Amino acid sequence: MELTLLAAALTGVGGIWMTNKLLSPAVDRATDALIGAAAAGLIVGRLAAMVGAGVNPLTRPGDILILRGGVSTEFAALTALAVVGWIHRRQLPTALDHLAPAALAGLAGWHGGCLWRDACLGTVSDLPWAMTSTGTTITRHPVEIYAGLGMLLAALVVSRLIHRPWVAAGVGLAAAGAVRLATEPLRQSIVGGPTGWYWAGILVGVATALVGQRLTRTRPPGPSSIEMVPP
Amino acid sequence: MNRTSIGLAILALVAAACTGGSAAQITGDALEPITVEEFVAELEASTQPTVVNLWASWCIPCRSEAPLLVAAHAAFGDDVSFLGIATEDALSDSVAFIEEFGLTFENRADRVGAIRAHLSAIGMPVTVFVHPGGEILRTHHGVIDDAALALGIDDLLAEG
Repeated sequence: MELTLLAAALTGVGGIWMTNKLLSPAVDRATDALIGAAAAGLIVGRLAAMVGAGVNPLTRPGDILILRGGVSTEFAALTALAVVGWIHRRQLPTALDHLAPAALAGLAGWHGGCLWRDACLGTVSDLPWAMTSTGTTITRHPVEIYAGLGMLLAALVVSRLIHRPWVAAGVGLAAAGAVRLATEPLRQSIVGGPTGWYWAGILVGVATALVGQRLTRTRPPGPSSIEMVPP
Repeated sequence: MNRTSIGLAILALVAAACTGGSAAQITGDALEPITVEEFVAELEASTQPTVVNLWASWCIPCRSEAPLLVAAHAAFGDDVSFLGIATEDALSDSVAFIEEFGLTFENRADRVGAIRAHLSAIGMPVTVFVHPGGEILRTHHGVIDDAALALGIDDLLAEG
């Protein structure tokens, strides 16, 4: 049985449940947006993975449905984000701020999924908590557990910032990039991680949070963005 | 919402259509058959660690991991042997697969799947990490990702 797929499915269901719980009170049509974002993200991510692997989706359209063949997480995430942003374009800060902690928690679950596929370990380490990989006595950093815990901590911090427009979204994006970037040197890799994307996430996230912080300070007391949206 | 999803999918399809497949780097002329006995003998005689990958042209996840195996061979080919086994596949399809993905490492054909049965492998693809002399370190069932392949190779080299 492929427990990886089960873990991925449970993480997905848990992520949607949590996001829905956070988003529903804040924005309209939260469930529609989440389902639409997930579907669009999967399709575009799968297409990007196929193109990246040198497979033309037009000549092999049936392959698009075989998600097990690979999904580009970068394109899937960006597409899902774009769909949520488009649907909630009139409540964008509120939607993104409420989405941020759930997205970080989902990423934590995704990293934790390494436990089901024997892929948690990175570079060699002698630290007391280092773990051995199957069939060897070599001890290594449980790098994906580090990343998962980092994402979970970031989710907890960001969940306390959701009432400051743009700040939670910015801090969440920067934190996700920082956690990935910090753990990257401890990972085993042949092709290398997309560190450019991580740096971009950090820079955009910090800039967004700073702008949000400035807006929060300059905004006069009044109704929140949720209340300003017409029914 | 539906229009948004459909629009995105169409855009991605059009972009994908503008991209060609990988250029063929070698021909599949050297795709010789291999039996279980030959497979075991080759691994036992090997003085280098070996990564064995069972694949088939009809296996869609095999297509997603093929470029990774090519990259791994380019990075570690001097220290680690790579052996692809085209499993339960038509010869012409296997040759086309090798040409499409430019598989630069040695590939052999096991048309009846005897090696897969010998390894008690589940599903396809399967990647086996083998010590010099033929002892199996680890068997990875299903599509392998960058981290798992790099970890397996690093374990082989570290213990070698």
